Amino acid sequence: MKPESPFFKESVHCLMQSPLFSGLAQSVVEEMVTRCRRETWKRRRQLPMEETWQRFHILLSGRVRLSRSNPETGRMITLFLLGPGDPFCIFSLLDGKPHDVILDTLDDLSLLSLPMKEARQWLYEHPEFNRTLLPYLGEQMCALSGLATDLALHDTETRLARLILRHLDAPATVQEHISPRLINNLSNESLAAMIGSVRVVVNRQLQHWKQEGIVDSHRGYLMVEKLNDLTQRAEQKLADTADTAPATLQ
Amino acid sequence: MADNNNSCVALYSAHDQAEEAVRVLQKAAFDIKKVSIVGKGYHREEHPIGFYNTGDRIRFWGAQGAFWGGVWGLLVGAALFWIPGLGPVVMAGPVVAALVGALKGAVAVAGLSALGAALYSIGIPKDSIIRYETALKSDQYLIILHGNQTEVERAHEVLATGKPTDIAIHLS
Repeated sequence: MKPESPFFKESVHCLMQSPLFSGLAQSVVEEMVTRCRRETWKRRRQLPMEETWQRFHILLSGRVRLSRSNPETGRMITLFLLGPGDPFCIFSLLDGKPHDVILDTLDDLSLLSLPMKEARQWLYEHPEFNRTLLPYLGEQMCALSGLATDLALHDTETRLARLILRHLDAPATVQEHISPRLINNLSNESLAAMIGSVRVVVNRQLQHWKQEGIVDSHRGYLMVEKLNDLTQRAEQKLADTADTAPATLQ
Repeated sequence: MADNNNSCVALYSAHDQAEEAVRVLQKAAFDIKKVSIVGKGYHREEHPIGFYNTGDRIRFWGAQGAFWGGVWGLLVGAALFWIPGLGPVVMAGPVVAALVGALKGAVAVAGLSALGAALYSIGIPKDSIIRYETALKSDQYLIILHGNQTEVERAHEVLATGKPTDIAIHLS
């Protein structure tokens, strides 16, 4: 993208706000943006990673879901939900290989992309980027280990509570009317795919919490009304709840 | 993936650069039927502008008559529309059919002009359209290559070597 482009300033601004690029000097980010190509992708585009892994992508707006599915059962698990400022194909950037992941666009996307080779060259020229890249990768690994832990150790109610809490970025002092980011307006089916469950169970659980006044939800828009109660649900362990949780929610 | 809903869009600040871009695409063996150009029809109020046919093909009367005449000789379809908010807009290529389609179907997209609705119908997102309309108002030119993903990516490679002020690909 050229600096005279009407999209240049906002692209730089978006990257400077993201955890991955915010630690870098503006001139370094600007240099990165000039190497990139601006793209837009329409909502509901589904691509296997084989079609995308040869370019490094950075989201400017919209959300992308990275998931895996079992073609025989049709079951799907969401590995990552990415938003503005997040890169994708980052594992391919590191190991130079495609990965068996399906990419879905949940909104119309605006993004920057550049060939992997150039992205690696940029990394080589700007080793200071590693200071933000390594913590970012650490977070991604923690997210994956969190997902594995949730699936193995917690029941659906706990997993759903933990999912919502992970997407709240309000200060801890705020106790009510908090709206989660990124997962808001997702369908119950999409939420289910993020916690290894199915739509019916998630729907039932949200209705249950709604009756208890813990959350409010309308057409996918979630609002946490009782943060403490939701936190308690998130801290329950499978062993603690095995005797008390309704069988339908397992 | 529908061919006509992917595009590579480049912005040029001068008509000679836009004309050069069309010729570069032609030289690079792109199907010229898939190329569109959009620009403002007038730049000084004292000049009459017109759109006429005295023989074999449509011509444009105005300060940029030679430019539009040349472009219309190359591309398929030609039109001049007075669009509220933009004024007289001259265009050529498949975007003309998209605009007529948008007008016939009374396509209305909130906050967008008729041209914006036409661009939206060919897969360009709203926030990009708003910037493109602003660029048109400031006398810039849009070159659009419609095609499949491979074609629009190749067009990006070809056009990026020129002097566009902005270039992007829009995929459906």
